[in-house]
Amino acid sequence: MKKVLVLTLAVFLTLTIVGTAAAQTEVRIAGFGGNDQAIVEELIARFVQPELEGEIEVVYEPVADNFQQVLLNSLSAGTAADLFYMDIFWAQSLIDNGLVEPLNDYLAESEVLKRDDIVENLIDGFTYDDQVYGIPKDFNSLALFYNKDLFDIAGVEYPSDDDTWMEFEEKIAAVSDFSEDFEGLAIAPSFERMGAFSYATGWQDFDEQGNTNLLDDRFVHSFEWYTGLEQEGHAILPADMGADWAGGAFANGNVAAAIEGAWVIGFLRDQAPNLNYGAAKLPVYPGTDERGNFIYTVSWSMNAESEVKDEAFRVMELLTSPEAQQWVLERGLAIPSRKELADNEYFKQDSKEAQANLTVFESASDGHVYPYEFGEYGAEWMQPINTALTEVMTDQMSAEEALEEAQERMERDVLN
Amino acid sequence: MLNKIKEMKEKMSPYLLLTPFLFWLVVFFGYAFFRAFYFSFTDYNLFNEANFIGLGNYIKLFNEYLFGRALKNTITFSVIVTTVQTFIALVLAVILNQKIKGIKIFRTIYYLPSITSSVVITLIFMWIFQKQGIFNYLLTLFNRYQEYVLLFLTIFILTHLFMVLKEKFLKRPVKVLEPSYIVLSLIIATFAALGVNFFGIIGIREVADVETIWLNTREMIPAWAGPFAFPRPLAAIMLLNIWTTVPTMMILYLAGLQDIPGALYEAAEVDGATTWQKFWKITVPQLKHITFLVMTMGFIGTLQMFDQVAIIGGQAPLESTVTLAYYVYVNMFPSSARPAVGLASAAAMILAILTLIFVYLQRRITGEGRE
Repeated sequence: MKKVLVLTLAVFLTLTIVGTAAAQTEVRIAGFGGNDQAIVEELIARFVQPELEGEIEVVYEPVADNFQQVLLNSLSAGTAADLFYMDIFWAQSLIDNGLVEPLNDYLAESEVLKRDDIVENLIDGFTYDDQVYGIPKDFNSLALFYNKDLFDIAGVEYPSDDDTWMEFEEKIAAVSDFSEDFEGLAIAPSFERMGAFSYATGWQDFDEQGNTNLLDDRFVHSFEWYTGLEQEGHAILPADMGADWAGGAFANGNVAAAIEGAWVIGFLRDQAPNLNYGAAKLPVYPGTDERGNFIYTVSWSMNAESEVKDEAFRVMELLTSPEAQQWVLERGLAIPSRKELADNEYFKQDSKEAQANLTVFESASDGHVYPYEFGEYGAEWMQPINTALTEVMTDQMSAEEALEEAQERMERDVLN
Repeated sequence: MLNKIKEMKEKMSPYLLLTPFLFWLVVFFGYAFFRAFYFSFTDYNLFNEANFIGLGNYIKLFNEYLFGRALKNTITFSVIVTTVQTFIALVLAVILNQKIKGIKIFRTIYYLPSITSSVVITLIFMWIFQKQGIFNYLLTLFNRYQEYVLLFLTIFILTHLFMVLKEKFLKRPVKVLEPSYIVLSLIIATFAALGVNFFGIIGIREVADVETIWLNTREMIPAWAGPFAFPRPLAAIMLLNIWTTVPTMMILYLAGLQDIPGALYEAAEVDGATTWQKFWKITVPQLKHITFLVMTMGFIGTLQMFDQVAIIGGQAPLESTVTLAYYVYVNMFPSSARPAVGLASAAAMILAILTLIFVYLQRRITGEGRE
């Protein structure tokens, strides 16, 4: 009995050793869960694995929730994947800690992936000290989604790409005043949306010394205009309609417009397939003749502690190849980051989805566009502004008081 | 020789049985605690070398505005919720201890809030406390029908008092809360209210809708209490917490009530004690050891309250709902900045010390648990 046991153990041991020796190099990648999981698995099956048959095995490890925290934990424990998503929102803290591999050398040697292939604004967001730290895989920015049917009923012209803030306000006021059941614009009391308008005035989050001035005339003007929309009754908070976000309120069908990114297209496809919507660029600020916008983007980045860096870069090239991005675009899943796809056939289609995607794509390069990130402060930076917005829009404070308090808090709590 | 081995085995068996739990305790509590204690004196942020900075974190904590708010919120929350829930649990237990038919059904129903998931309950309460939610709607209704309610209550109390006093005047034995008179007064008051409505003497008031913001505000209540006021969203969370924890405490009190010998109550009745006196002089003192347990558990639980704040999340301003436990979380996992592990560990240490102080004080005051 004992002899049989020892023999079996020996056989297993040999098999394992032989097995591991003959194994391919394994590259692990980590991404979001949910809808994204199916997309990435398709991409890997179609565009990545076939090219790497026999050499590299790609293992996809989706993270269902709290991606950033799980990633931080795994990086700290040394068990993180070789390639991972890096959201521009928290990219800087990872890069500052030396956790991300700089890619300039790899890009220089690559034949299929070059820095210039990617839209400028996007790759700049992931460039620190002239080093590229991630290849953006897609992006999103804000556009004005409007309900064509409501505008037709009210007899008002559709919002156009050339509207100024005032012209836009008139249009939605006309629709909202037309009937008691119609609401104007669904706006969120958050800098996540108001910021686009603040940027249009030429204001920036941080000046050269890294300070924030919320009492700057330009910011005050954008703040007062934005809150004024709600105070005058032309706009409504989604919470007052029982919705979580402006997209959810827009899906109800009695809201004239909402400011959201292209992610609302997928949402509307499921929730309100018959909604006849159109998309226009955000209105222009008359003082500067420019509009503003955020860029939301996620990049593929390489773990600085990875042991298979060259193989991981090969996988990165395939994941961001023109074929892969085109496939994603044709399904209306995301907006590609490669410049060459701007003229793609998809954008020439007449469907509301294709046209909305085209508007969002063009918005990313039009005007004062900044990546959606706040340096080392992150979401904390937005807190004082969001509190001020909420208090003014729920009639608890006047705009001047709210802004003064916001500036105080900004200096005391955030910028310390 | 064999005897000695047997003796050893017997002596070792309790420790052997303890090993699994002891292992879990040492690794997940002991090791974690000492590591946190160590980190609280360093400037660790998960990716650098932990440099010793002495009391720097603690000093920084007391300069932070958010920490001050968290401390204040935690202490207010803990004191108010624990005292209120102890009292309500005691009263409920006494009520549910009667031997009337169907009392078991009531006990089950009253126990339900404790077994529901706190996440689900918080979500539902968020809906109820919306600006145009049910709670505000009920308040609006109350405002509108205010005159009816007032009238109803006045007539009810007056008729009842009238009948009771009449009996007392005629020197007949009658209890102050005589049930039959209560029912009679209710019926008379209902008819009076209905009659007044029918004849149009008072109408329903036209009032503006109550649109109090319960969650997304930084206002404090009560407004006149100055530095002792607490934020409104915290009041909503307090209500929530009391409602879900009372049943658990009530069960403990019910168990304790079974131990009180009925002879004590009978002796008291013979001596002519009223219900009120029986409650205060017999029930409460006999339940002293249970009160100690309930209050200790109450303090420890409320000082660590975290999940309700996390679920309410962005719906309420952070400084109005933050508690020490949530403050630790926010510093450990900031949304995009570097984790401030040292600061979070220091805050956790402060929370531990606070808990110790509370429990110690409570033990001194009630003088229990020493036996």
